[in-house]
Amino acid sequence: MTIDPKYFELIQADIDGEIDDAGRAELESFLADSEEGRAVYEQLETLCRSLDGMPPVEPPPHLRHVLMNQAPVRSAPQPPSGFLRRVFAGPILGYVGMFAAGVALTLALVDSTQISKGAFDDVTSLVGAIADSEFAVPEHGTVSIDKSELAGTVTLRSTGPILIVDFDLSARQPVEIVAAYSDNTIWFNGFAQLESSGTSIAAESGAVTLNMDGKRRYAVYLNNPGMRPATIDLRFTADGQVIHEARLSFSKSD
Amino acid sequence: MSEPNDTKLMERCNNGDPQAFEMLLARYEKPVFNAAYRMLNSPDDARDVTQTVFLKVFEHLDQYDPKYRFFSWIYRITLNESINWLKKTNRLDVLDGETADTASGPEQEASNEQLSEGMQAALKTISPDYRAVIVLKHLLGCSYQEISDVLEIPEKKVKSRLYTARQLLQETLTEHGLH
Repeated sequence: MTIDPKYFELIQADIDGEIDDAGRAELESFLADSEEGRAVYEQLETLCRSLDGMPPVEPPPHLRHVLMNQAPVRSAPQPPSGFLRRVFAGPILGYVGMFAAGVALTLALVDSTQISKGAFDDVTSLVGAIADSEFAVPEHGTVSIDKSELAGTVTLRSTGPILIVDFDLSARQPVEIVAAYSDNTIWFNGFAQLESSGTSIAAESGAVTLNMDGKRRYAVYLNNPGMRPATIDLRFTADGQVIHEARLSFSKSD
Repeated sequence: MSEPNDTKLMERCNNGDPQAFEMLLARYEKPVFNAAYRMLNSPDDARDVTQTVFLKVFEHLDQYDPKYRFFSWIYRITLNESINWLKKTNRLDVLDGETADTASGPEQEASNEQLSEGMQAALKTISPDYRAVIVLKHLLGCSYQEISDVLEIPEKKVKSRLYTARQLLQETLTEHGLH
């Protein structure tokens, strides 16, 4: 290359729209006489056009909700936002904010690549008691398990875009339960359990894994923002052996 | 009615106005996520970094100095967090050209999509400092002065870094028949 470096700078400044009149005049005069200069200009311009044309990527649909939930409340306590507002606004099954009932609940979120502090906060605010349903809330199906290792039910309910997988199980030995949801627009939103311990949960994209022992009642909350038909495949494992498999389905018309 | 500017929104955030948070999120969620994505080349990592960025913004609201522009502040946090993420995951080293290879060969005419993928792959081959100027210039549309503010480097250095970054990208793309 025999081009004076100052012309590289002028070429770049012109393409970036950062050149002044004097610089432009100097560049024009240089380009008029330099084929090599024109080739450099064209090459850089093409590259910049390609860079400018890189399509933006859409953030995950739930990200705004998660971010909103991590915003601190600075002044007087604010009403619950987003998902909580929706949940509290209408009748929801037995998962009501009934702290007054004195039922101690804890959360156990052990490991997650999908949950956020925000989602955790959601659940902290949401759970209060897992009581019998006193409102008419759509129930989309129940799976009954009657095995020597494990017995009880798993019920799928929904309120708005929230799917609630309600586990009421009794296990004679440690049991692992994997609940897989294939639709990648669904995301894990929270977990509540009636007992103060005994169940742990790990969430990752597309599935949650629960480990439990003894008699337990807990619920997994999933956000299905598009309220699209969804299936949740359940696999129950004890001692490394699959003891039961079942599927729960949600369809909008349910 | 015109949209409130960032400084106004930050003031309102400081007073605990959740609507102001939401407006800032609406304004910056996508650019922050995209900047992180271009820096990290992974939507999952970009999502996590975006969360961290907004958490930091919210936690340090009271430290924001309104004489500086909000976008400089949030983009600086985004790029720093992205670089920290790369360090944490031992991905700070740039990849060689072989790793950045795409399905295209010199004989194959690159479609826009291929070119875009090729560009994203080529971005991985340049160091995060160079990547940052490219992201600021071409993705976030910052001027030299704005890039200088965000990165806290002189404008002259912005120009030279941008030039080198583009040269390196050009070489990688040419090597892989995409330009």
